[in-house]
Amino acid sequence: MNPKILSSIGLAALLVGAFALPQLVTVPYFMHLIILALIWVILAQGQNLIQGFVGYVSIAQAGFMGIGAYFSTLLSVKLGWSVWTTLWLTPLFTTLVSVLVGYPSLRVKGHYFAIVTLAYNMVIFTILLTYSSVTGGEAGISNVPRPPELSVWGWVVNFEGKSNTAYYILVLLSALLATGICAIILHSRVGRVLVAIRQNESLAEAMGVSTWRYKLFAFVVSAGLAGFAGALYAHYIGFLNPEPFGVDQSLNAILAVILGGSGTLAGPVVGAFAVTFLPEYLRIADSYRLVTYGFILVVATIFLPRGLVPVAQDLLTRAKALLGKNK
Amino acid sequence: MKVLNKRFVVAAMVSALGTGWGLSAFAAEKELVIGVNDALTGPGAVYGLPQSNAVQMAAEEINARGGIKAGADNYKLKVISNDDKANPTEATNSVRKLIDRDGVKYLLGFCCSGSTSAVASFIEKENVVMLVGNAAERAITAKGTPNLFRTRPPADFTGAAAGTFVGKRGAKNVAVIGSLDVSFYTQYLEAFERELAKSGGKIVAKETFGLKDRDMTPQLTKVRALNPDALLVLGYVEPAAFVYRQATELGMKLPRYGFTSGSEEQFLKVASSEQMEGVWDLRPTELTIEALDANAKTYVTNYTKKFGAAPSPSSPYAYDQVYVLKNAIEAAGNADDTKKVLAAIRTLAVPKEAVMKYLPTNGTMFDGNGQAYTSNGAFQWQKGKWIYVSDLPSDTKVYSEFLRSIRGK
Amino acid sequence: MTEILQQALNGLAIGAVYTLIALGLTVVFGILGIAHFAHGSVAMFGGYLTFVFSDRWGLPFFAAMGLAMLAGAVLGLLIERLAYRPVRDAPHINAFIIALGLTMMTEGMNLLLFGADQVVIQTPYRGVFNVAGIAIAELRVLVILTACVLIGVIALLISRTKTGKSIRAVAQNRQAAVLMGVNVNRVSLVVFAISSALGVSAGALIGALLAIAPGVGEGLAVKGFAVLILGGLGSIPGAIVGGLILGVSEAMAAGFISSAYKDVIAFLVMIVVLLFRPEGLLGKR
Repeated sequence: MNPKILSSIGLAALLVGAFALPQLVTVPYFMHLIILALIWVILAQGQNLIQGFVGYVSIAQAGFMGIGAYFSTLLSVKLGWSVWTTLWLTPLFTTLVSVLVGYPSLRVKGHYFAIVTLAYNMVIFTILLTYSSVTGGEAGISNVPRPPELSVWGWVVNFEGKSNTAYYILVLLSALLATGICAIILHSRVGRVLVAIRQNESLAEAMGVSTWRYKLFAFVVSAGLAGFAGALYAHYIGFLNPEPFGVDQSLNAILAVILGGSGTLAGPVVGAFAVTFLPEYLRIADSYRLVTYGFILVVATIFLPRGLVPVAQDLLTRAKALLGKNK
Repeated sequence: MKVLNKRFVVAAMVSALGTGWGLSAFAAEKELVIGVNDALTGPGAVYGLPQSNAVQMAAEEINARGGIKAGADNYKLKVISNDDKANPTEATNSVRKLIDRDGVKYLLGFCCSGSTSAVASFIEKENVVMLVGNAAERAITAKGTPNLFRTRPPADFTGAAAGTFVGKRGAKNVAVIGSLDVSFYTQYLEAFERELAKSGGKIVAKETFGLKDRDMTPQLTKVRALNPDALLVLGYVEPAAFVYRQATELGMKLPRYGFTSGSEEQFLKVASSEQMEGVWDLRPTELTIEALDANAKTYVTNYTKKFGAAPSPSSPYAYDQVYVLKNAIEAAGNADDTKKVLAAIRTLAVPKEAVMKYLPTNGTMFDGNGQAYTSNGAFQWQKGKWIYVSDLPSDTKVYSEFLRSIRGK
Repeated sequence: MTEILQQALNGLAIGAVYTLIALGLTVVFGILGIAHFAHGSVAMFGGYLTFVFSDRWGLPFFAAMGLAMLAGAVLGLLIERLAYRPVRDAPHINAFIIALGLTMMTEGMNLLLFGADQVVIQTPYRGVFNVAGIAIAELRVLVILTACVLIGVIALLISRTKTGKSIRAVAQNRQAAVLMGVNVNRVSLVVFAISSALGVSAGALIGALLAIAPGVGEGLAVKGFAVLILGGLGSIPGAIVGGLILGVSEAMAAGFISSAYKDVIAFLVMIVVLLFRPEGLLGKR
């Protein structure tokens, strides 16, 4: 069978399975984790853009997630705007803020860049925590609303209620959209320039490419995705405080991309699920979790610098070759 | 044949009865799983871990005395304790797991406001009973969630009483330094400032420090220059201890009042007893043996023996939750029907096993908002120990109505 | 006036600690080109160790710190050999990811070994001198003196010894140094040992002055990098000047502007410097 047809069928089956999932999974706890993982996919795809494609490690992703979360929440809670409106305004706002962050950060390279983004994350976190008259500080904002009912072809879709099925579909579609956006970028001319920058920035510059603009583009899109993920997160949990948007979460995003596979499209998906589910299964003690994570990161970088998905792809290719031989 | 038949029948009946009785005795011994959600690690652990321990201890005590009698059944308690690290997402995950995977109907613990608020925001949809402990954020009970109860009074209930006290002691210019980005401390301060004003006092400075800050010398230096006649410290014990120490290091000699709630051990890790001498703590009459009765003494002895460290002053809020549950289940005669248990909690009198000194509202332990009230006390550090000096008069009825009035705001 | 001097003095002690951290970072970055982000957690490890030596084993504070510095040096050797050397010739981003992974591992190790509670190292230096209305804590003076001594030792090491010469050679031009017969592997090991020992001393001093707890290391590392950027990456005088400036400005900002945003100062400094003078105050690159 033509491998392309095979992989298309596989992808289609995966999609059907994903949409049917709420019927198959009966324990709400697992649905809850899956929803969180899908939100993380959006975040990780964003991180992959700047880290995997361009090769610049940004440690600000969680900060942008926080900005998006608070933007959408404040508009819907304090001004009463519909969540449907705030959801699509959020990535726009986050991208605006990210230009402010990106402008000074992208003037420097490599290590400097990472550290400056780290500083920005800490600034964002501190402001969210301290500006409590607006953000509610550590005590947070309660009663963050779910999106209001939708009428889709005669069906009324309700987002309140215990089952979360409707929200799951929303998040699934969003994750697919995010992956789709990254796929389009990757396969476009812009994507090729980004990869060229990662491979040899000086060469790209020497060829006359205005690398700065492309880097900013990747940075801004990744921030927009993070903001969107943040809004989805806030409206799902129903309660918002700055806690989830600290540097630790940005490090998690980096880990997700590395584990899954930098610069691939499936990598962030795998990484996001890994990063969401592993802690729940490694609930031995927090102390072991940190050491394990760090160890995985170190070992993966030394021995598997391209991540799980490329390694899996390699294995698959080799397996196919072996099978081919035996035919 | 007839005789044989009769004997056979009698024997059959007796054995049937016997089996039936044996089976029912077997069936009567059941297990009730309760869940604790608390900060077992991280910055909230100073409050969360002792709460979790206290629940464990109470459960073992109850089991040793035969368990909980609900109607015909006898329940032994099993406690599952989850660490939420004072993180709202973790708390949501952990509670979801307890409800969905472990089938828990009764949630206890809840030391920290951020994570507790996250859970409180969805708990109304669940078929469970939630008992909140140390988390002091007022909105948690102001919401009026029908299946949520809290043993610890909200911060501003104590703040008002503290303001009156400090005002009576003649302070006219009070400087405040605290974790003022945490809303229950600001609520305490608002009520404090209001009552202080009634005796002509005012707040001359409001300096902040973060939960993780340890160097407050800049803020204290600023305050020192204003020459206030009292200092009010509002924060978690770990940073607050540094405030007290650094105040003495800066040569500040003024009355120091606080709302921090920490054990002697916790303070002595940071400051020396001389540096703490004379510091006041104006808080709910938490665990101090002189202020409370025999239950408290026994609790302290047992806890110290079992866990090798002194219990934190707020840990009995969790201990008492278990006895509230026990008494409510026994009054309802049913451990499965949460609606019956809820109704029983609402009309419950203060359990005799409770360690804290609760002030009943209209005869019941919890008011219409699900809030219990303990008396407030003035404690002072004298020669290495927190000594209970006096009661801080406080009006539960007035506060309860106030809490009802802000519901939904 | 008294208030300003008091704030400045308070800030100097903290600034001295920042300088020690920054020095540890700058030698590794300047000589080996690695942004050793795990440095903060290594410093914490040293602080915890010092606590164990002084509190459990009863050693006097400076002896405990010295012993911990030795242990820190060994840890530094292990880190260089096992974690960073394998990626020495890989793209820079790999070294940074390793640094992040090491940070997690060291934080996790600290949690496992020492628990999650905050740790305060008790010292006998509780005196407070009062000079013209300014309260000078004995402990703060000792912190500043210790930092001076350590900085002096390192400066001498680098400028007068043969090892120091090799280090400077590698810093200037690694290829040329190799050609001249300098053992780059040995230099890397020595640099990491020095860096970690300095970090440990900073951790011990913070543990005595304030407290050590999970998460403190990360904050210190970031502030260390802020000092590096302020003073100039790879510049030792820059690290010294930068550290003191940061410490004092934090105290001033907290005292005269707002205590809530105290930590933000370091980051704002970093961002502003990067915008207007990316090579730092005393840097050359």
